[in-house]
Parts: sequence; structure tokens; C-alpha cells
Amino acid sequence: MKFSIKIAMVALLLYSTISYTQDYDFNVNLIPETLKKDANSIVRLDNFFIEVESQDQMTIKVETAVTIYNKLADKYANIRIDYDKRRSYSNVKAYIYNATGKEIKKIKKSEFKDFSAQDGFSLFNDGRLIYYSYTPISYPYTIYYRYEIKTSNTAFIPDWILNGSYYQSIQNAKFEIKYPSGITLNKVEKNFEGSDVLKVEKPGVLSYEIKEILALKSEGYTPSLRKVLPTVQFGINKFSLEGVDGEATNWKDFGIWYYDNLLKNTQELDEGTKQKIRSLTAKVVDPVEKAKIVYEFVQNKVRYISVQVGIGGFKPMLAADVDRLGYGDCKALSNYTKALMDAAGVKSNYTIIYGGRTKRDISNEFLSVQGNHIILNLPTDNGDIWLECTSQKNPFGHLGSFTDDRDVLVVTPEGGKIKHTKIYKSEENYQFTKGSYSLKEGGSIEASLIIESSGTQYDDNLMRNDGESPKELDVLFKKYLSHINNIEFSNIEVLNNKKEGKFIEKLDFTATNYGSKTNSQLLVPINAFNMLNSVPKKIRNRKLPFVISRGYLDVDEVTIKLPNNLKLDYLPKSTELASKYGSYSLTIEKVDESNILFKRKLQIDAGNYPKEDYELYRAFLKKIKRYDNSKMILSI
Amino acid sequence: MKKILLTLITVLTLVSVKGQNYKFGKISKIELEEKVYPLDSSANAAILFKDRKTYFRYKQNEGFYVYTDIHERIKIYNKEGYDWATKRIRYYAPETGEDEDVHSIDARTYELNNDKIKVYKLKKNEIFKEKLNKFRSVKKFTMPNITDGCIVEWKYKISSPYRSIDKVELQYEIPIKKIQSKITIPEYYKYNRKQLGYSSIDITNETKNGRINLNSKNRTGDKVIKTEYSNEVIEFLENITLIDNEDVPAIVEEDYVDNINNYKSSLSFELASVDMPGAVIKHYSKTWEDVAKAIYQEGHFELELNRSSYFKDDLEIILSKVSSDSEKAIAIFEFVKSKIKWNEYNGITTDEGVRKAYTTGVGNVADINLVLTAMFKKAGLSSNPVLSSTRSNGIPIFPTLNGLNYVLSSVEIDGKLLLFDATEKNAVPNILPKRAMNWEGIVVGEQGYFNKISLTNSQKSEISSTLSIKIGEEGAISGMSRTKYLNYYAMRYRNTYNHLKEEEQISKLEEEKGGIEIGNIRIGAKKDIYKPIDELFTFEAEDAITSAGDRYYIKPLFFNSINENSFKLKNREYPVNFNTKFSKKYISSIEIPEGYEIESVPEDIAIGLPNEFGVYRFKITQSGKSINVLTELSIDTVIYPATYYQQLKDFYKEIVKKNAEQIVLRKILAN
Repeated sequence: MKFSIKIAMVALLLYSTISYTQDYDFNVNLIPETLKKDANSIVRLDNFFIEVESQDQMTIKVETAVTIYNKLADKYANIRIDYDKRRSYSNVKAYIYNATGKEIKKIKKSEFKDFSAQDGFSLFNDGRLIYYSYTPISYPYTIYYRYEIKTSNTAFIPDWILNGSYYQSIQNAKFEIKYPSGITLNKVEKNFEGSDVLKVEKPGVLSYEIKEILALKSEGYTPSLRKVLPTVQFGINKFSLEGVDGEATNWKDFGIWYYDNLLKNTQELDEGTKQKIRSLTAKVVDPVEKAKIVYEFVQNKVRYISVQVGIGGFKPMLAADVDRLGYGDCKALSNYTKALMDAAGVKSNYTIIYGGRTKRDISNEFLSVQGNHIILNLPTDNGDIWLECTSQKNPFGHLGSFTDDRDVLVVTPEGGKIKHTKIYKSEENYQFTKGSYSLKEGGSIEASLIIESSGTQYDDNLMRNDGESPKELDVLFKKYLSHINNIEFSNIEVLNNKKEGKFIEKLDFTATNYGSKTNSQLLVPINAFNMLNSVPKKIRNRKLPFVISRGYLDVDEVTIKLPNNLKLDYLPKSTELASKYGSYSLTIEKVDESNILFKRKLQIDAGNYPKEDYELYRAFLKKIKRYDNSKMILSI
Repeated sequence: MKKILLTLITVLTLVSVKGQNYKFGKISKIELEEKVYPLDSSANAAILFKDRKTYFRYKQNEGFYVYTDIHERIKIYNKEGYDWATKRIRYYAPETGEDEDVHSIDARTYELNNDKIKVYKLKKNEIFKEKLNKFRSVKKFTMPNITDGCIVEWKYKISSPYRSIDKVELQYEIPIKKIQSKITIPEYYKYNRKQLGYSSIDITNETKNGRINLNSKNRTGDKVIKTEYSNEVIEFLENITLIDNEDVPAIVEEDYVDNINNYKSSLSFELASVDMPGAVIKHYSKTWEDVAKAIYQEGHFELELNRSSYFKDDLEIILSKVSSDSEKAIAIFEFVKSKIKWNEYNGITTDEGVRKAYTTGVGNVADINLVLTAMFKKAGLSSNPVLSSTRSNGIPIFPTLNGLNYVLSSVEIDGKLLLFDATEKNAVPNILPKRAMNWEGIVVGEQGYFNKISLTNSQKSEISSTLSIKIGEEGAISGMSRTKYLNYYAMRYRNTYNHLKEEEQISKLEEEKGGIEIGNIRIGAKKDIYKPIDELFTFEAEDAITSAGDRYYIKPLFFNSINENSFKLKNREYPVNFNTKFSKKYISSIEIPEGYEIESVPEDIAIGLPNEFGVYRFKITQSGKSINVLTELSIDTVIYPATYYQQLKDFYKEIVKKNAEQIVLRKILAN
């Protein structure tokens, strides 16, 4: 009986959907003028309806219409629907309307292309997708489409996230979620203050609606749109993941479920491997020292290869398989490292995280399967150590900008716990440049320098330079020193000092025409090695707050040797600048007639500021740029 | 016999001297112990050996199948080379029709462990199959236990019912120690061979005898049916292409190269004809004349170009407003550009036909430029389509249809051939988008008419810019910039900026020019593509000049300076492709501020490149209160040969040096 009622309800819903689409009028004249400002496209409607029918059955109905004003927004007319064995799509309908709202094209099923959902890094991924891309014949035009998804994976309830893109305004967005009486829905609403979200909450139904969100320009140094636009995340207490049911009302229970179903029984290793680890680590007592040996062992043995099949998208590959094959993805490698740590008698925990340069937290406020990456947590007496197990190059305990400073879920056999990863202070993202150059009469220089970097600056330099061929390094460092022309390197060395967590670069070069001549003088830029070349672009009428997401500290010490037979006419003065965004100093000291000691220090601090501060920050950087470009003048 | 003996001896010596054995699985410790590739220490991995055999086998009742056997051995020196442990084998697998079959994959990793060779075999379930699109699939696998210094080795077979022979690739991004190929083709099949690349390839040709045993069963008779069994042996010749190369260097990407694959060594095969005994000879393509005929017949050009009913009315309206041939051509060109939008697909044949493209307003490149050609013809112009290949598709050298993927249109007016590409909104006649500026195109006409023409941009592109500068307090400046962009540069400008809002364009220009703030801006001829772009803006800048003591130091060209020499590499292997001949003329007119006088200005220069490939001039004059700087850089070749690279590098070095030199103004001392 219950069953038939549900069918009837679905039918009714379907019917109503079909009938009211006929009533839409996509004439662009109906768009309020305010929405057109700064908009390359306008979301006319964005309806997202979820129905959780049972613990392992969920239907999602998507209905979207976007008016596209120019070619920069054509990508928003692309339709992409992901599917796999547990996720099917149906009722795909798509139409194109012209400016007056007249239908000009009905998109046929055969016009969709079917692809493997290649993420660009997986060797194999069993997900697939259908895709349609429209070729516009005139602007503006409107694309309308709708489709339905059925899935048994209720562990992920999609967020209500507004189609948040820059240069796009939203006319109307609706979200609705229905769930049966036996299931509790948890949610976290964010960024609601200051926006007119219409919320209706009834037993078993929750809905949101928002109207007229104005387009935002991409301004740089802004918080992610996720932190600006209203968004709601959901989770249910009884859920299903790849055919495995789960139930949890707190992180502890959720962690236990996760551990029991996805991790337990994946961590067995053969006795030989365990024996090897035990004997390798026997010589030290300190668990951190043991962990270092295990980490080193893993780095030498495995490499990152991703294979995503069915529950394998969530459950790590068996540790024994990783041991045999020598590769795996983040889940497999973290889990394998954990198994080896166990063998060495070191406690460690599987940890779920959102990886990416933009920091994103695992939501503490409700339970659900979240995250897109796995790392390993090592609780010690002196706090947590975090291990990135997919890198063969990272120093022990180094996270960097991909995983720093965010909430993560640590999974233990006793349950789950939210913890926060390491926050890098400005001083830790450190680059120290020590060098010298001697100036020749004709304006050429002979230079030699060593750059040492750590923290997130270590990451940047490691990624860019480590393992590159000599020819490639030549290109990269000429780019790094692009303000110096005619460089001829006599030596380039790069070294990943894993033990100390430092990346070291040694450069020796000569460059002609470094100083430029007038008929009686030689102008020489005093700061040769580390120069602020550009200032972030001016933003007229900035709307979003100003954010510096990570700080850093650069220190330079350079000895400059002048030619004996030229007279120094002018030497730039020492300077200090301070602002709330950081500090800058130049110390220029004449050691003797022909030697100058040049010191530079630039520290930028992370912080969140109101939008007005952006111009002040620019002014600060402009001043720095000016001082960085100071020149010595010598008479010939 | 002698030859065989000699080869045998060579092989034996190779084995004994280098400790190399190329048989599958016969890995030596010496190979595993090697730390770097001896001929190129920067190699992250090297192909120690690659062998490919392609041959035909007759399947009774089905005909010839093409078989390819691959054997590959790769040494991995370090972590950057680990990607070479993953293999992807693409194969033809159409939605309707027989798939090619990739089978008998045997793959192993070898590692030296305590002076012993350890072998890991790939398991069946570690091979993944994936459908790429309607026509292609891929089998892929990654090898287990990859460590620095290990060797991976695999062999596999591909059998195909199709007669296409995949390109024999003879150069990679990593060096090759030894590569050999043997392509054996029965005399019934004729292929064009197409050889590419800068490294030399050793090719030998041989023939040998082949045979087919046919067992047949015939039923004959009218009333009494009799079954006859017969065994027939057919003998034929086989043509063998043998390649045996050693020490092939890695191919390394360089800037200003049109498509690095054009310089990679390879040998391609294109089916030219099939001449089976007892059947009529069938030609596929052999000469450009054949290609022209084939595209008109099988490619339906004849049909598509002669249809005109669908555009008849529109054409009448267009022609009613114009009279001369060139006016007609332009009017039709602009009409087609606005009528049909390019769906970004290439191809030498129409997608759904010209009529459909015309009515729906969307088409691939062939749709669009064939409609254009058909309309030109109908209007009485002498017009033909032009077949070509895009940059990313590489260079067509041999007469093949396979090497081509693009169609342009041509019109002859007053003895001059003009090229048109209506897929590009901002293109004008003879100015092609970058993708189409590639080598040569083939004008194809009826009855096999063809004519090769250069597709490199023949017209010189120009930028000419004037800055008027006033110097204010503390080295701040204000001024006006006026710049004209011609030809290719105008198209590029329109493609970059035309769709942007003014505010966005300002912000982009400010970023590009560095450190200026733009006040007012006006872009002339933004949409009038037959005129040069005329960009005019006012600006201000702090710190544009250096002030020290009682002097001002001024870089004469301000943000129009050429500050960086793009040619940074010490040596260069491949020619520099400038895309277009060009001239860049920058003029600065600087007002000397009250109370200052000129102390010194940079000297004038005029320098040139060999063979009149280019010149640079720099000249400063003073007239009254103003300093006038005039510079012009002119490059008069599109392709600049690598042999003169050093001169090009030095030429730019001089330009950068000259651009960095400063005008010095000095405060006039009060008496």
C-alpha cells in the first residue's frame, strides 16, 4: 500500500514538472536590469529536488535554465551528468531558446556524448558521464535542461550550493529535500546572514528559495565563493554507501561504522613484511623515530597510482596488495602506511580531508561522508604529526598548502574525531636568499646565490624545480630571474633536503648589460635576486572582502662588489615599511669603497580584511615595488 | 646468405660486447645496474629496445588481417621516469563493426635486489579496458614495484580486420637505444609511406615470397548436388620495410615551434590501392589529383558544392547590394560568418551536410567553408575549396586524405588567389586563424584539378604606437597612447578584447602594461574588421621614471619597451616560427619638464639579421621642448631557420639593451 502511494506521488510530481516547464518564459526582457550588471550569464532558475525514499534509495531532480550573454559564459550551457553502477540517470530533456524566449532547438539524446569519468590522474575510474556542449548561433540564448538521478549512495547528499560562479547572477534558485519518517536529517546552513533565503521546514520536507543574487566579479584575494554565498550541507543518520548500510548520530559512531566497514580487514600484511619493518625499526625506541623509518620505507617502495572501482572509490585497496604491487592511491597508501606503523608498534590513524590550495573544512556540525583525500595522523605526546603518504619526496611531517590549516576527520577503531591540521605561520613559509654579485665596468655582473626555502615555499619550489632536466632548469631559473637579461648559468643545482625540510637551489651565472649606461653614468638595479615585479591589479568598486590566505617571509642577504675604477654617485637609502599586512625593510650599507651589503626582508601575513583594505594593500606593495626597483648610479 | 651471416655476427658481437640480449625476459644485470643513460644523463627513462612487426595473414572466408606484434623494454632511472611504467594501448573499436583485438599481453618488472634479479609479472586483473569514444577504446596497465633503476618490459599483439597500418613511431620524449621495425605487406596492397622527423631513419626494403593455402568446398550440379573439396595454393610477393635504428635522441620541446610532432621521427603508411587477383584494382589515394577526385566523389564535394537552392534567396539579396567581384566576395564571406557558427570540429567532409548546417546555423569547418565556396561559385566567382591540416594535426607531405583535417575556401580575383576561413569571426581574406596557418593547402577543383599554396601568413602584420608623455611631480607621468593594429595583430586583438566589457579590458591592459592606470579609453574599428584597430587611451603612472639627485632617468619607450629576450636557450634544434611577418613601430614623444635640460640620450642604432630576415632601428631627436624617440622592429620571414639562431638571439639582446638605456634629464642650475 505504502508502495503504491509513493508511485502515485512520484507520478504526480513528474506530471507537474512536465506541465509547468511549458509555462516558462525565457524572454530575456524579463530579466531585471540589476541582474545584468557584470553578468556574462544569468541563472534563470535552478531547481534541485532531492527525495530520500529510504536508507538506500534517493532520487535527485535537477532543473536548470541559464541565459548566456557572451562566449565567456558558453561553458555554463554544457550539460554533464555523471553515472555509474549505483547511479542512473533518466528523463533527460534539454532545449535552447532565443532572446525572445522562442524554442530554437530540442537537444536529442543522441547529441550527448558518453565518456569515461576520467579525472585526469586515475589509471582507471569506473564512473562514466554523458556530456553535451552547445554551439551558439546568436547571443543571448537560454539553455533549459532537466534530468533525474537515482542512486543508492545516500551517504552523500549533495549540498545546496548556488551555481556560484563569478560573472553570473541568479534569478531564482530552489532547493527541496524530502526524507522518510525513520530518518533524521542533519544540516549546516552557512552564509545566510544578509541574504533573503526563504526557508520552509515541515516534518519530512525542508526547502529553501532565494531570488536575485547579483553577479560578482573575480577580484582576486577573495574568500572562496563557498564562503560567501548561502550554502547548506546535509547528512542523514541512516545511510548507505556502495551497498553497505550505516547508522550514526555522532562522530564516534560514524567513525566506528567507517572503520568497521571500510578499513577493518584491509590492513593485514604478510609476516615477512612485518618482520622486515620490525627489524628496521628495532634500533630506535622513540615512536616518532620509528615512524620516520616507516615513512622513509614507504616513500622508497610505493608510488601514487589511482584505481577507482565501485566501493574501491571509498575503501582502500588491501595493504597486502599495495605491498605486492608497490602502488596505490591516497586511501591505499595511507592505509598501507598505517598497517606498517602497526607492525612497528606506532599508533596512527586514517584521516579524511578536503585537499586543495583553497582551505576547506570537514564540517564538524553534522555527519556524512565528506572529503576528497586521505592522510595519516600520528598522535604523539607533543601533539599531532600529519603524514602525506602519496608523496615520495615530502619530508616527514610536511603538509604544505594542499592540506594545511583545516578541520579533518580522524578515524580510529574507537570512533571518529574532528581535528585541525597544522597552521603555517608566516615565518615558517620561509625563503632565505644568500648571495653576491660583482659588477664589471661594462655593466655585466657575475653572480652566485643560494636559495633555501621551507614551509609552503618549500612546496612551491619542490614542485617547480625538483627532478627537472638541466635544460628545463635553465629555462625555469631564467624565468625566475626574468628581470635579468642575458643570463648564462655556469651552475644550477637543486637539492631536496628532506631531512631538514628545506629545498635548496644554488645558482652561479654571469649576465651582460645588467647595468645600463648613459653617456657618463651606469645605472644598476641594486636588488638583483628577489624582486617584487608586479602589484595585484586595480579593482574598481570592489565588492568582496580582501583575504590573504597564507603568509610568508623572504630574507635576502647580498654582497655587492663594485668595480674599482667607477665612482659611486648615488646609493639608495635604507628603508623600513610596516603595515597590518606585513613588513618590509631594505638595509643598504657601504662596507668599504667597493663593497656594499644589501639586506632585504619582506613578510606578508595571512589575514581577513574588509574590501576597503585591498587598495591599502596595493599601496603597500606599490611602495615595496618602488624600493625593490631602486638603482645605484656610478659615474664612468 | 653472406648478409645474414654478417647480421648474425653483428648481433653476436652486440650481445657479447654490450651484454645485451634483446630476447623477451633476457634482462642483464648490467642493464639493471646502469644509473644514468650514457648518451644523455638528463634522461629519466630510456627505451632500451623496441621491436615492432606488422604483417598480413589470410583468414579463410574473411580475407587479410593485419597483425602487429610489439615488444618494448624500458629502463627507468628515477622517479620522474615512473610514468613510463604505465602503458596505454589504443585500438579501434567502433560501435558497429568488428573491434581490433589487443591480446597476449605479457608484462614484467625487473629489479635488482641484493645482486639478484627479481621479476614481477603483471596479472590479468591489473589490465583495464576503457571505451574512449564511439570509435576507440584503450587497454591500460601500470607495472608493479617500480623503483629507481628498474626495467619494465612488455609484449602484446594487435590483430585487425582493417587495412590501416598504425604509424611507426621512431622517436620519443626519452632516448631510444635500439629500435627496429619490420613491416611486411603482400603485393596486393600498395601503401604510401610518409617519413617525418629531424633524426635520420635507416630504412631498407626487401621482398620475399608469401603463400596462402586455401581449402575450399564447392557445391555444383543442377540436379545432383556434388560437393567438391579443393586445396589451392596462392603464391605472392611480400614487400618488407625494415627499420633498424640505434641511439635516437629524445625529442625536446622548444618555444616558438608550431608542432613538435612535426620534428619527431616516424614513418606513416597510407593505403593507396588494393589489387586483388580476379578483382578490379581499387585506388584509394596516390597523387594530389587522386585526392582531389576522391574528395569530390567519395567526399561528396561535387554534390555539396553544386547545391544552391537552399541559399538562393539569401544570395540574391546579398548580390543586389554589391557589384565588383571583391565586394561580392566580402559580402558573401560576412554573410556566411554570421549565418553559420563553427562547432569547433575539424574535418574534411561535412558533418550533416551543407543544407543542414545552413538551416540550423551550426557546422564543422567543412560545412561552413563549403557553403561559402558554393555561394562564391553561384555568385559567379572563381572559387574552390582548399584542403589543409591544422597545426595540431601536423604537416601533410604525401598525397593522402588521412593527413588532412581542415577546409578553407579560395577565390581568384584579378589573377590573385584569396583565402577565406569563415569559422573565424574576426578573420578577413588572407588572414587565417593560427590553427590554419600551417604549411601548405591544396586547392581542389573539379576533374582532379589541384594546386598547392602556402598557408603561412603572407601579409605583414603591424603594430604602430605613439606615446605622448608629460612628466609630473616625483617622477609620476601622465600621457596618451595611440596604437594601430593591422592584419593578424588586429584579429588577435579583437579575439582577445572584443567580448570583454570596457572595465575588464582596462584591467587587462593595465596588467599587461604594468604599473599604469588607465583613464579614458576608446577603441576605433572594434567591430569594423576591414579597418585596423585604433586604440586610444590616457593613463597615469607613478614611478615610471627614476629620480636621483637632480636628475631624471627615463626609459624612452616606457611600457612599450622590449624588456626581455624571449630567446633564452643557448642552442636551438628547430626553426623559429613567428606566425607572421611583422613590424612593430613605437614612438615616444616626451615633454621636457620646466627647469630641466637634456644631459644625455641613448645613441641611435640600426641593426639587422642575416638574409634580410629583419631589422631594428632606434632613433632619438629633439625638437624644442620635446624629445622624440622612434623605434621599429621588422621581421620579414615567418619561419626563421635554426642555423641562424645565435644571430637572432644577439639581435634581441641588442634590442633589450637599447630599450633599457635611459634618457637623462638634469635640473638647470639657477644662476
